[in-house]
This record gives sequence, structure tokens and C-alpha cells, in this order.
Amino acid sequence: MTLERLDALSVARRAAAEIIPGSVVAVSGDWSIAVADLVREDKGVWFLRAGGTLSDLPINAADAGAILRGGNVDLSIVQAAQVDSRGSFAGYHATDYPGPQGHAGLIDLAGARRVVTVLPHNGADRAPNILDTLTLPPDGFRCVDTIITDVAVFRVADTGLTLTEVAPGWSAEDIRAITGTEVTVAPGLREMDFTVPPGKPPSKVYADGPSAIADLPDGATVFIDGFGGPGGMAHHLLVSLRDRGSRNLTIVSNTAGIARVVSFGTPPGRTAIDHSVLVENGQVAKAIASFPVSPSVSRPSEFELAYRRGEVDLELVPQGTLAERLRAGGAGIEAFYTPTGAGTLIAEGKESRVIDGREYILEHGLRADFALIRAHRADTRGNLVYRGTSRNFNAVMAPGARVTVVEVDQIVQPGELDPEAVVTPGIFVQRIVRRPDGFTGYE
Amino acid sequence: MASSKLYDSAAAAVADIHDSATVLLGGVSGTNAPTALVSALADRQVRGLTCVCDSTYYGAEVLHRLVAAGCVSRIISPAPFGSGQGDMVHELWRSGDLAIEVVPWGTLAERMRSAGAGIGGVFLPVGIGTRFAEGKEIREVNGVECVFEPPLRGDFALIRANRADSVGNLVYEGAQRGWNSAVVSAARIAIAEVDHVVEPGDIDPEQVITPGIFVNRIARASSAPIG
Repeated sequence: MTLERLDALSVARRAAAEIIPGSVVAVSGDWSIAVADLVREDKGVWFLRAGGTLSDLPINAADAGAILRGGNVDLSIVQAAQVDSRGSFAGYHATDYPGPQGHAGLIDLAGARRVVTVLPHNGADRAPNILDTLTLPPDGFRCVDTIITDVAVFRVADTGLTLTEVAPGWSAEDIRAITGTEVTVAPGLREMDFTVPPGKPPSKVYADGPSAIADLPDGATVFIDGFGGPGGMAHHLLVSLRDRGSRNLTIVSNTAGIARVVSFGTPPGRTAIDHSVLVENGQVAKAIASFPVSPSVSRPSEFELAYRRGEVDLELVPQGTLAERLRAGGAGIEAFYTPTGAGTLIAEGKESRVIDGREYILEHGLRADFALIRAHRADTRGNLVYRGTSRNFNAVMAPGARVTVVEVDQIVQPGELDPEAVVTPGIFVQRIVRRPDGFTGYE
Repeated sequence: MASSKLYDSAAAAVADIHDSATVLLGGVSGTNAPTALVSALADRQVRGLTCVCDSTYYGAEVLHRLVAAGCVSRIISPAPFGSGQGDMVHELWRSGDLAIEVVPWGTLAERMRSAGAGIGGVFLPVGIGTRFAEGKEIREVNGVECVFEPPLRGDFALIRANRADSVGNLVYEGAQRGWNSAVVSAARIAIAEVDHVVEPGDIDPEQVITPGIFVNRIARASSAPIG
């Protein structure tokens, strides 16, 4: 009796079951691309395509690469030609593309937080595609955690492959006989299931600021938006953080709070809310900022006063470098060379390199535990639009934080924002809070 | 008043692209590509171009038009080869008439972004353990093994957008944005082929994707098919 192998649709259905509601997924290869059609729209899954789309949002190709490198893709489903026992995979057969390097289409996808490969268990000549060591050049190095074939499912660990599921009618011994590496059989070995489970993503909308930052811990690094004046700052979230009282914070921001002292547009008798509310409450240990002091010597900022008292540390960063370090952190760029600051105090202690006759210094990406940002409108998936110059540092901060919380004027339903006009895709936003009615940003 | 960025024809907009220039091409697999500009360039019979593009296959008439006209000596792309027999790029490469550099697409886009942003190069964790890390500087940064990737600059960028105002602010339509908006800032001279040209102020500033400072020339898209 010949055992039946699964068709491509069944493999795709099994792969689709790996997708968590609300997650970000990249797919490549015919078997994988079929997966996207099997996931119901209400599951809220985002599909990244290298050509420049993120589900219905058009995006720049450099941003697509950044999303993969920056840890913002939860899962890549990649059709492979071979996989080895340590989770490296080859995407192409030697005859597919000529040249020593062939094709680079899958290299970026290997950088997702989790990589699942789908492939025929054996080649046309019945040779196994799952091997001790690849015979084809790798496109992903030790990155695969699950292998789905037309007869079985394996989990991959440093110790090798564990067979967890078999196609209907197949036994563990049948699978061992056609696999090119040693296989451990899971105690709970079961038959493959082809139902794609339904599910809805958890809501990103929080009742208010305090509930949205209730888990912001002591010692956290926090991106705080804004430029100089009160525009484009998450005032309600700042006050919520003051009320929560988290201490020993490192804040990363353009200023360390000067809206209060510059007083642009502040109504008489009132005080602008800025980082000062955290500084005067003793919550800030360090600022990474480009404009930490007041422009007026006679009216020093709270941070400046605390700095003079020796209560806070400061890392001074040129404004463009700050924006670029924020972008790098969110884009999976560990470090970069910039000419800004070469030959000045900013360059002290940093590596320098001459590139094409010009001196550059090495700067590193910045990441945070939380980002507190401000936008004009959000839909419930977290897609954001800003208003005018209030976009400032908000858009560049959103991708690089583990938890990005946005304070908006208005929350709308998915589909109500023009996809062409969305500036920050919802994959970068974990929590949404509406600014309370009547809240002004002044105390 | 500044001289106008608007050119009468695609041919006029590409008239000074010279032999041995590096030309960055927008579009993906030949779709959303600047077909009128490429066609005009192929007609000029320039030689020795380095072309940077997303891919050459899937009926990518755009690059093939330039290759067939003998204009191209080097291609930098994540997917330079077609997978079928008789692929023109494949045959020219095999005969030694075409140099090929294969670069992962995210890295390629980032190298162009670096050029446009004045970055001297980046350390990326992409391609470690594969053939794409061979021969490159490798360094552990923040505990992550990375390769150094230098900027990639073009002499010219040829791109396709939906709408331009006369100072060069651009909006795209859907997936047109992908590689067109990624290559535009990396060239000394960027030339945009657009469907519509409007007056300054006609495009909502919140909706502009490519600011006009990156765009040097504008030509109207031709409706004529390429080939």
C-alpha cells in the first residue's frame, strides 16, 4: 500500500494554523502564499510583502526591510528546498538560479522572530529534503523552529528534530524511513489537523492613560515624543506616568522638558505639561536628548536644575543623530556611521572611520521598553495619522519600543483612514488611548 | 524664480544620462516602473550602465529593454536571474558580458537609504551564516553578529509616481510606493515619471510621500506600451 502525501492546500492549511491573531507575517513561495488566503480577515493578521505593502498599506521598500530586521515580523512562512537538523534552510535548488549567489529573495525573511518552513518531504527522486547538513547553499542560518512537510510536522531545537505530527495513515517509523537525519518522536505524537482556527486579536484600545501604562516598570527606558513646545506631546500619558510613579527612568527625547519654560502659547496663569513633571517628581535617572536645557539662562528647566544638583545623568546627542539612532533601533540596524559630530566633543570615546575621504563616527541604535507618543487619529488596529508638525519625533519613535502607547484625539474603525495617508502602520502600536475630553496639556 | 523641473518629454529628461552611469530603477519585477523613461534611455544607446533594481524577471520588460539594447554592463539586484531557460540576463552573464551583484532586498533598500541620508554605512544582522556575508566585514555589535553594508549611490534614479506638483512633491498609488520611494533619495539626479502634474499646493502636505527636494526632473508618463 502506498501512503498518501498531502496536497499543497493541506500543507498551507496546517501552516495557517501557526498564525496568531493580530500578528505580522511574511510569506514566500507558492505553498506559503496560499496561506494568506486561508486566514480570515477578522483575525487581524498583517501580511508583509517585500515589494512594498503591509496588508492594505503601501510602504517604502526600505521600511519593509526595516520591519523584518527590527523584530516586528512575528512569523515568516518560507517555502524551502532543504532544511537541516539545526534549522538552517536553503530556498532554492541548484538548478533554479545560476551564478555563485543565485537569488537573495529569502535572506531578509530569515530575520523574522520565528521562521516556519514548508516543503515537500522528499524530492522528485525521493531523496530526503530534511538532512543532517544542507547540500544546497543556505538562505537562513539556524533560524527555523518548525518544519511542515507533506507528511509530517517537526519542531527544531539545538538537540535536533522532534516529530510532533504525522499525516493521516503515517507512522513515526514511516517518517523516519524517508527523513535524512535523526528524528526524536514526541511523546504526544498526533495526527496533523487541517482546520484553521478562528480568533480575534486582543483590543489595543485602553480606557485611559493610567491603565495603558500600568505595567511600566522602574528602571525602564522610555521614548517620549515632542519637539520643543507643547505640540505633538502625549501630555495625558506623561501625567499618567507621573501618577504611577515609576522611578529610575531613562528618558529618550528631543528635549528633556522645555515646553514649560519656553511657554509658547501657554494661557496666562497655567503651566505646560512636559518632562518636567517626571523630573520634579524624582522619577528620571538619565536623559538621552539633543536639547536638554532651557534656551533662557534666567529660566532653567527642571532637568537643568536636577542636573546641576547631580541628581540626573545626561547623554547629549545631536538632533539628527538622535532621530537616526531611534530609526536604527526600530529598523534592526545595530550601528551606523554618521559624519555629524566628527572632530567635536560628541565624537569622544566613539570609533571613527574615514569613508571616501570624510570622517565618520559610529553611533548605535536606540531601543526602549515603552514609547509614549501622540497622534491625531488612530484606527483600532493602531494605524496613525498625525497633524502638521506634531508628527515630529513620534513617527520615528514608534517602531523601536517593545510597547508603544499612543495618545490620540480620535479613534476610528479600520478602513476609515485612507491607507495612502497612514504614516505609522498599526504593527508599531500596541496600545491606544483617547485624550480625555477637555484635557488641554496645561496644568 | 527657480527653473522648472518639468520636462517636455521622457527623452529630454534622460538626455544627459551618460555612459558608465549608475542608474537606480524604481518598480518591482517590472510593475510600477518608469517605462517611458527607460524606453527613452534605451533609445539613446548609452553603454556600460550599472543598473540597480528589485528584480529582472517575471516579464520585467523594463530592465530587459535596456539589457537588450546593450546598455547595461552590471546589475545589482536581489533577483537578477530569471528561473527559466533562455533568460537573457542569464545568457549574457554566462558569456561574460554582464556582471552581477546579488544583494538581499532589505539590505539593498537600506544601502540606498544610507546614501540618501548621508550615512557612511550600517551594521546589519542580515545574511550571517550565508553566502551573502562572505567577503564582508563582520563584527559583533551589542551582542549581535552583523555585516557591514556600505551606502549605494546612483548618478540617476528613474522612478514612477502617480502625481507630482511642479516643485517635485510626489504621491504614489498603492504598491507603486515600494521601490520608487526607496530609490529616489539615493541619486544625484532623480527623474520622476508621473501620470499627473499639478500646481504647488494642490497636494495635501500630509499626504506627500517624497518631498520635492529629492526630485530634480519630472516627465509625464507615456501611455504607449514599451517594447
